[in-house]
Amino acid sequence: MAGRAGRRRGGDEGGWFKYAMLLPAVAWVVAFTFFPLISVLHFSFASYVLGQGITGYVGLQNYFNVLTSGEFWHSIAITAAYVAVAVPLEVVAGFLLAWLVSLGAPGSRVFRSILGAPLFTMGVAIGYLGVTLYTDQGGPITGVLSWLGIHIPWFSTGWGGILAAIILDVWRWTPFIFLIALAAIGSIPASIYEAAMLDAGSHWQIMLRLAVPLAWPVMTVAILLRVIEALKVFGLPFALTSGGPGTSTQVFSIADYLTTIQFFDFGKGSAMGIVFLILVSAIITFFFRQMRRNID
Amino acid sequence: MSKNGDHEELKTLAEDYLRGRIDRRRFLLLAGAAGFSVPLLGRLIRPAEAANPDLLPSDPISPYEAPITKQRVAFLKTKPFKGVTINFMAVKATVGDCVKYHAPHWEELTGGRVNVAEVPIETLHTQIFADLASGLGRYDAYQTACWFYGDYFVPKEPYIVPLAPYLADARYSYWNPDDWLAPMRKLYEWNGQVYGSLFDGDCQALYFRNDVFTNKDVQAKFKQKTGYDLPVPPKTMQQMHDLAGFFTGWDWNGDGGKDWGISLHAKVNEQGFFHFLTLAAPYVISPENKYFYFNPETMKPLINSEGHLRALEDYVKFLANGPREEIAWTLGQGWNLFLEGHAAMEPTWGDLPTLAQDPKASKVRGKMGGAPIPGTTEAFNPIAGAWKKYEFNQVGNVNGGTWHPVLSRFSKKKEATYDFMAFMANRKNAFFNSTQGWTGVQPGMKWEYLPPAGTSTIAEWEAQGWDAADTVQYLDAYYANLTMPLQEEYLRIPGAAEYWHELDINISAVLAGQLKPKDALDRTADSWEKVTDRYGRPRQKALYQASFT
Repeated sequence: MAGRAGRRRGGDEGGWFKYAMLLPAVAWVVAFTFFPLISVLHFSFASYVLGQGITGYVGLQNYFNVLTSGEFWHSIAITAAYVAVAVPLEVVAGFLLAWLVSLGAPGSRVFRSILGAPLFTMGVAIGYLGVTLYTDQGGPITGVLSWLGIHIPWFSTGWGGILAAIILDVWRWTPFIFLIALAAIGSIPASIYEAAMLDAGSHWQIMLRLAVPLAWPVMTVAILLRVIEALKVFGLPFALTSGGPGTSTQVFSIADYLTTIQFFDFGKGSAMGIVFLILVSAIITFFFRQMRRNID
Repeated sequence: MSKNGDHEELKTLAEDYLRGRIDRRRFLLLAGAAGFSVPLLGRLIRPAEAANPDLLPSDPISPYEAPITKQRVAFLKTKPFKGVTINFMAVKATVGDCVKYHAPHWEELTGGRVNVAEVPIETLHTQIFADLASGLGRYDAYQTACWFYGDYFVPKEPYIVPLAPYLADARYSYWNPDDWLAPMRKLYEWNGQVYGSLFDGDCQALYFRNDVFTNKDVQAKFKQKTGYDLPVPPKTMQQMHDLAGFFTGWDWNGDGGKDWGISLHAKVNEQGFFHFLTLAAPYVISPENKYFYFNPETMKPLINSEGHLRALEDYVKFLANGPREEIAWTLGQGWNLFLEGHAAMEPTWGDLPTLAQDPKASKVRGKMGGAPIPGTTEAFNPIAGAWKKYEFNQVGNVNGGTWHPVLSRFSKKKEATYDFMAFMANRKNAFFNSTQGWTGVQPGMKWEYLPPAGTSTIAEWEAQGWDAADTVQYLDAYYANLTMPLQEEYLRIPGAAEYWHELDINISAVLAGQLKPKDALDRTADSWEKVTDRYGRPRQKALYQASFT
């Protein structure tokens, strides 16, 4: 009882001021999360035609159309493949690079600055850059590979397009993992490393058996953020391939953009968004629980 | 005038003048000396303009306009739009650059100001209709593609306004819709009313390397391989396929590398599907059938008919005669292959011969050939469900954006906005636009063509940097295409962008080997049914039928 009373007393501290302080955050959430969500829910039950607005309410028809749409599930599969390949590559590469830098490899200070650059570049810009890097009409990547006798049909096959996008995504986001991993590795007390150096045979073993487990709580947050971001990927593949050839690189965001924004089918597009939100929430919740269990 | 000899003399003189062999002064002198009246000669030179007594050839007040009305000369003296700013949404592409080029000239004349907002082509439709549907109306005019037209007419009160009241007012910059070639004018109209001001005039024709096609050694090689004379230009799709195959895989341009038979571009969302629409037309359109997209009675899609299927199967075969990567190329990448001299043919827009005139970007200046898209000897009537043989079935087209300005009904500065639109449509500016590669503009007016079709001269084109032979090839091909008795219909109903997008991605999937042609067209038809149902079948049907009037 004393504890509860104490909590209640603590809750009264500050009076109206603390609510005033909360107000901007609440207003932000209402304006930019709650209101759009309600609006999307509303549209998802409606039939919308450009120039006429909502022409009627169709119950669950939009949801039925989405759930029976091959294109929708295809876009989900492409997105899942994208996330499943890109994020692990970024995590592994980012952590390895952070480990190398933390060991004081030569030139690591300069390398740290250069590595961070793609992180501050727009996805769309990187996508357009990719067009010039991969093009068969004088693109440097294609040129170097051709010189080595390797020909990759970057944009004329589905797998080539998605591979091209993933490579650029890894290039862009590895620094994000790198920076977090560097901080996580740096936070491990030096004395633990020193003790481990006496027992372990190599830096490789120290990384695997000491740095990875100790950095894992921080890394899980980084992974979670990357998974959420990667599920929403849009600009990079849109600028790079426009979702083609065919629909082979049409991730969910592109499919939803085309439906809702380009063709003004707000009803189906909103239903797509709600279904995707539910799917992602389920995945993230599961992922988060697993991570917490591992951390515990 | 009563004697045949007089007719011949006048004809010869007119041809000499119109082909640029004699100047205007000498033509009038010689023809006048031969007894022809000056008013008659005036009508021959510029028929519509000669009939207008208020029209002056030019006036110092506006060095950018010719001809110009007396009323406009007086109007401009007042700096009529001083302090007025108009907002113009343009495509972030060559045609948008062209708008930006003219804006300061108009500002200088009228005292007004133009804000040109450039929007990438892939989001242009969205931006225009988000502005209109939301009622914000932040823009006074939009540079539109013709396939957006249906969407402007969905609300009870259309989003754009007819131009007739402004056209009747001689204070605005002069241009005359009667000068349009008929198929082009239809694209600027809805229900018989003009809504767009002259800007672009797109159609796809076949461009080829005339120098290579007429080379004796190449011709001998071709005959040895195929058993018939190399056709210059190809008349049938079969000949085009033979040529594409023949020119693929060997060094016919002598630069040491292997070259290609055909250049195409097919990246999704980059207008690549227009290649298919153009090349498929003679498989479906015939003297017995003018419908390409839908059955006008039921709005059932025709896109998966046997004719469309054979056209798509043949289209895929072209892919083997160009670089594999062209299925992911943008328009510019497709043009580059031809301009660099590595492709023998390209079915595309008039930008190609126009860009070919720039020696910095082109190795093919003076080497261009042009012709209408080849025809077939058999076409499928999708309404009747039967193939029919023809001696020769060739179809013209107006495929493309035919990008041009339309006036928003929400605009509060309609007069100033129309004046800017008309200024760009004035003959002097319009002719400049269609002769420059960087503008992305092609000719749609009669006076831009050579005699006997039109009244421009080779000298006028040469003055804009054109090679004389290329000019004749280009304009003759364009004109022949636009005046062909059979024309492929142009889809202008609401949702046209979505119908075409579905076709675009499914064709792309076929080219990438992910779908069989039949499956791709069936999928397209299924998607089209859903789009039609969403917009409302009876309404779509009515608008589809109206789009033919």
